[in-house]
Amino acid sequence: MAEGTLALPRVEAARPVNRFVRLIPGVLLLAAIGYLGKFIEQSISRYAKTNNLHIPNIEYVLWAILIGLVVSNTIGIPEVFRPGVATYEFWLKAGIVLLGSRFLLGDVLKLGGLSLTLVVLELAVAFSLMTLLGRWFKLKPKLTSLLAVGSAVCGVSAIIATKGAIDADDEDSSYAIAAILAIGAISLFTFPLIGHWLHLSDRAFGLWAGLAVDNTAEATAAGALYSDAASKIAVLAKTTRNAMIGFVVLGYALYWASRGQAQNVTNKAAFLWQKFPKFVLGFLLISVLATAVVFNKEQLGSLANLSRWAFLLTFAGVGLRTNIRELKAQGLRPFAVGAIGEGAIALVTLGIVAIAAAAFHL
Amino acid sequence: MTTDELLDQQKPQRFPLGLDWWAVLAALALAVVVKLGFIHKVPW
Repeated sequence: MAEGTLALPRVEAARPVNRFVRLIPGVLLLAAIGYLGKFIEQSISRYAKTNNLHIPNIEYVLWAILIGLVVSNTIGIPEVFRPGVATYEFWLKAGIVLLGSRFLLGDVLKLGGLSLTLVVLELAVAFSLMTLLGRWFKLKPKLTSLLAVGSAVCGVSAIIATKGAIDADDEDSSYAIAAILAIGAISLFTFPLIGHWLHLSDRAFGLWAGLAVDNTAEATAAGALYSDAASKIAVLAKTTRNAMIGFVVLGYALYWASRGQAQNVTNKAAFLWQKFPKFVLGFLLISVLATAVVFNKEQLGSLANLSRWAFLLTFAGVGLRTNIRELKAQGLRPFAVGAIGEGAIALVTLGIVAIAAAAFHL
Repeated sequence: MTTDELLDQQKPQRFPLGLDWWAVLAALALAVVVKLGFIHKVPW
């Protein structure tokens, strides 16, 4: 058919203004749920104070997640809210960049260097364990690769990045994502309980959560549930782990390409840059500016509080995106492999962190 | 050019930058606003 005579239906691109407007209801929902969590925490605390009651403080983080969970698993999220609710990851990353204002560059290098050493150990443990478990449970090799990457590096983003690089099928990816999300949700609640039971210091707990909890949002929330200081360290350790994503995905891509089951990577540097989480650069830049005393004390306080507000929206999103029925529907075997593997990784990383905490007085 | 390629060309364009860059730009814009004093104090 000649090009000039080809009649095609025109697909109208949504205008940027319309796309922005569509986000507003969901963002307002995130803000409302997050603020409700904060309001409940403050109200209970005020009530306990005025009546001299000793009620254990339940952090706004937990309230926001629980309210989100209840909404998404009872009435569900109406279509009009969905685009805005999906922005929770944007708020998470913006919050992490702003959190850079609470770190002097020296701290980033010192704690980041320690985190990097521990992350390398964690990666070795996670890959070996998940590969072994995948074989024992007779999972498909590519599904095992996806679960290994998800549990070793950074959850869902890592699985999505690896899926494209190793040509994994959609079914394997959705299995792996469901398993990692379910385990992330469980870790979020269990890690702080275990940390308190073991009397871990804020720094030790933050490191542990950053190393062992999948998904950046859940790791941040687990840290925030423990304490403000633990949250800072958890974000730093998790960000260090995220920065490794390119190397890990490249390794898997080369492995599967060598077996003729994925496309070869021609430009490795471009591949690494494409997979590198760019918000890490923003975090470092803000940290450099804070170290160079570009901001005064009050301005640093404002940036830290903006980061907290961004995380507030993220925590509401963590609850809203967790649909228990959908997770159940994905089947038990990948979940079992993920759960056993994650349990073992959590134990080993706890041991590594305990040794580091004793050696470096964390 | 095939029909598929022509249809691909007409697909709505995505945002030119990825989510990470938008998050970095938004955070830096907020930092500039705070630095210039347009926001004096953010409460928590």
